[in-house]
Order: sequence, then structure tokens, then C-alpha cells
Amino acid sequence: MAIDVGPRLSLRDVLIVDGDVHAHEQPEQIAPYVAPRWREAVENAARLPYRYLNRPGWSPGAGHMLPGAALPGGRGKAREEIVWSAAQMTQQLAALDIDVGIIFPDHFLKIAAISDGAFAAELARGYHRWLEELWLDPENDLYAAIVAVPHDVDAAVAEIERYAGHPKFVGVFLPTCQVYPLWGHRRYWRIYEVAQEAGLPVMLHSVAGSSWAFPFNTEQHTGIAVHTASHVFAMMANLMSFMETGVPVRFPRLAIVFSEAGLTWVPFLRMRLDKEYNENRRGWPYYADRPSAYIRKMWFMTQPVEEPENPRDLVDLIRIYDGEDQTVFASDWPHHDFDHPRAVFDLPVSDLVKQKLMGLNALRLWPRIRVPAKYAASVTVWRNTL
Amino acid sequence: MAEHVVARAAELPPGARRVVRVGRLEIGVFNVGGTLHALPNICTHQFGPLCLGHVGGTVLARAETGYRFEWGLDGQIISCPWHGLEFDLTTGRCLAYPRVRLRTYPVRVEGEEIILTA
Repeated sequence: MAIDVGPRLSLRDVLIVDGDVHAHEQPEQIAPYVAPRWREAVENAARLPYRYLNRPGWSPGAGHMLPGAALPGGRGKAREEIVWSAAQMTQQLAALDIDVGIIFPDHFLKIAAISDGAFAAELARGYHRWLEELWLDPENDLYAAIVAVPHDVDAAVAEIERYAGHPKFVGVFLPTCQVYPLWGHRRYWRIYEVAQEAGLPVMLHSVAGSSWAFPFNTEQHTGIAVHTASHVFAMMANLMSFMETGVPVRFPRLAIVFSEAGLTWVPFLRMRLDKEYNENRRGWPYYADRPSAYIRKMWFMTQPVEEPENPRDLVDLIRIYDGEDQTVFASDWPHHDFDHPRAVFDLPVSDLVKQKLMGLNALRLWPRIRVPAKYAASVTVWRNTL
Repeated sequence: MAEHVVARAAELPPGARRVVRVGRLEIGVFNVGGTLHALPNICTHQFGPLCLGHVGGTVLARAETGYRFEWGLDGQIISCPWHGLEFDLTTGRCLAYPRVRLRTYPVRVEGEEIILTA
């Protein structure tokens, strides 16, 4: 007698929101969108030799080798890890069964390291205009983040206010690679005030690499170790920076999102901070409860999701950091270390939790996202259960 | 299991490959130094299209040389195009994980035809 276990949920049945995909902004493309006083500078940048994520004056040196550049013998990779247009992005995400993508920049991941703050602010403005015109067609399912340049909080706030009502800008990107001071500093608080009022989450994103400034040089010299440490330490240090100045209490409705650091660091940091808090509550008197009570309301993108031999180990860790409702899938397409949706979808969890991780949590985090028609009915059903 | 003619022998000289579809399976057939090998077109990592990857050598480091970096196994190693996980075409063995080995399919030349059993 055959036993019918019912249809198995497949990637195609499920709304998949990708919290982290990358466009590739080049000076040749951005130049027309920057103000006349800076246009020549950007056109000059276009004459400099192109290097992937390391173009002089455009994406300041990683401070370390990039994967693929120095790996012994090369990796023999067969694909170009760049997306040049919205059409290409839509097509490639569709091939991965991804329905919605949230765009981060490529070169401007390092915008915090551009030394001239006025230039950086103008680059961000130009980037937003370029995105608006070429990537965020109302008909597609691509969304974007407003770049908050740390050098110039007035400029950052102005851009947030400019796009606060725009249906396709869903959050504020806090460039984390080589940012100084870290994002908890009081000078940035107006950014959080404005983002909170606009209902926009802030999303931190770093870059693989270390420098004398930040993320700290922990003396790694090979790609494996650098890539293990860099994004993770960047996120941990900034989470602690937010906690140090009371940001979760000053801006209680602000959603804070951490990216590209995987998930397994979260239980570690929560437990360590809780331990230290026992002895030193006076150092952080803003809080009514232990640090993990606030961290459990923060958000964590999955990529690069850890892949233990026993996947239940990862499921246990997600449970340990109360992550079921706070974890959102990200692929990091088209980068070298992207995750196929299966890496999260195949985890041994219930169908409902799968759907939360792959898209339903993202709808709560980024409520501006328009649900593709195909999923409208099932999402409505789910929304009625909330 | 059944036998399938997947190519003419002349179409697969040393260094060449062909990825074929047999029923619902995708299988890569490779000529490595005159010997044919066949592996599934699925990487064990995130199920990428392994057999479309770069074929070449790899970095080895042996105790006998004090773990000096050496280049070897040229033409024998395929790297998955998605994340670079390496497999030995001649054995299906994954270089990074001692216990991971892809199944291989019997493949032979008969007359002028290449015959895959899958």
C-alpha cells in the first residue's frame, strides 16, 4: 500500500525575497547623474584602470587580496561575477527561483573609505539617481537601499528624506567597511531618527578584507581566514557599538539588519554580552533587561549561511538566538560566495518556518515590498494569522 | 541501468568533455589523458552544475616536501563553477572532504562510439 505524504514544498511554490544582491556601479555610468561640480572627477575615475571592487579612487583598496586574485592556481571560475543591468538581475534571480531582490552596490560597499566626504556624498546621490532610472522600474521586483555616507550626516539625512516615500527604496545601507567611528556613535543618531520615522530599516554591510582602521587587522593572511573574520567582526563590532550608546532604546522602532556574516556568531555574541552585563549594568544603564532581549529584535541575513554536516546543528543555533522570525534569506548574487536558496530552504524545519526564512520574515522587515501576484493569496492567508 | 551512445570517439579527444542528458540525469563525460570518465553534473555542495566547471590541476602540499605548495594532477581536477569545490575526475573523489566521493558511471569506447552506462 503506497503512503501518500502529500506534495513536498518546492522552491517554486514559495515566495523568495533575497535581502542582498549587487548591482555594479561604474564611474562611466554614474557620471551623468552627479552634479556638474563633481562630474569631471567621476569622468577622471572612468579613465583609471578597471579592477574588480578595487578601482583606484572609486572603491579604495581592499587592504587585502580579493578572492580569486591571489588564490593559488586560481579557481577556474566559469562565470563573470557581475550584474550589469536590471534585466540581467531579474533573469538570473528567476533562474534561482528568487522572486524579489534588494540591491546593494558593489564598489560603493567601500564608500566609507573614500576620504573626501563631499565627493562621497555626491557619489551616493548619483548612485541613487542611477538606480532610480535604470534599476527600479515599477514593473520589476527589484528594490534598493539608500546609501548613508558616514562622512556627512546632513547629506545622508537629506537622501533618506528624499526617498522616504519612494516605493522602491526599502532601507538605509550603512556602509560598514572601514567606517569610523562605528555606527553607534551619537553623530549618526539623526540618521536613525529619520529612518525610524520613515519606517526604513538600517542595513549594515561590510566587505571581505581588513585594514589598519576597520575591520581590525587580526593578522590573517590567507583568503579563508580573512573571509571568515572580516564581515563577522564588522557586524559584531557594530552591534556592540549600537548597544554601547543605547541605540535600541533611543530608537525603539528602528529595525537593524546585519548582513553577509552568516548566523552562527549571533548566539555567541548574545551570550557573551549577557554575561558581561551581569557585572556591569551601570555601564549600559539605558536597558531594562539583558542585551539579548534587544538583540532578539534585530535581523540577520543568512548569507554566507553555515553548512554543518548535520544541518540540525544550524537549526538549533537559529533557535538559540530566537531567530525563527528574525532571519531573512540572502543570496549575495552575483558574488563568488553566493548561496543558492536551497542552502536555507533545505534546512530540516517545518514548511511554515521555511516560508518565513525565505520570504515571510522579509515582508515584515520590508513592508514596502509588493508581493508578486503569484503569492498574493497565500501571503494574505499568512497575514491574517499574525 | 542502460547503455547509451553519447558521442563518437573522435568527438572526445584528450582534454575534451561533453555533458549529456540521460533520462532525468545530467552526466559529464570527460577524456582525461586518453581515458574516459563520467560523473553526475551535480556538485555535492549546493547542487551546482559541476561538469561545466574548469578542468585543470590543483595545489598539493605533501609531508615529504615539508608541505611546499606544488602544482599537480593537471587535467584531472574539475572545479565547480559555483564555488570552486574540486573533484578528481578519475575517481569522483572530493579533494576537500575525504569521505565525499561522487559516483562514477561506466563509460567505454566501442569501435567509433562512446558508450555510457547509466
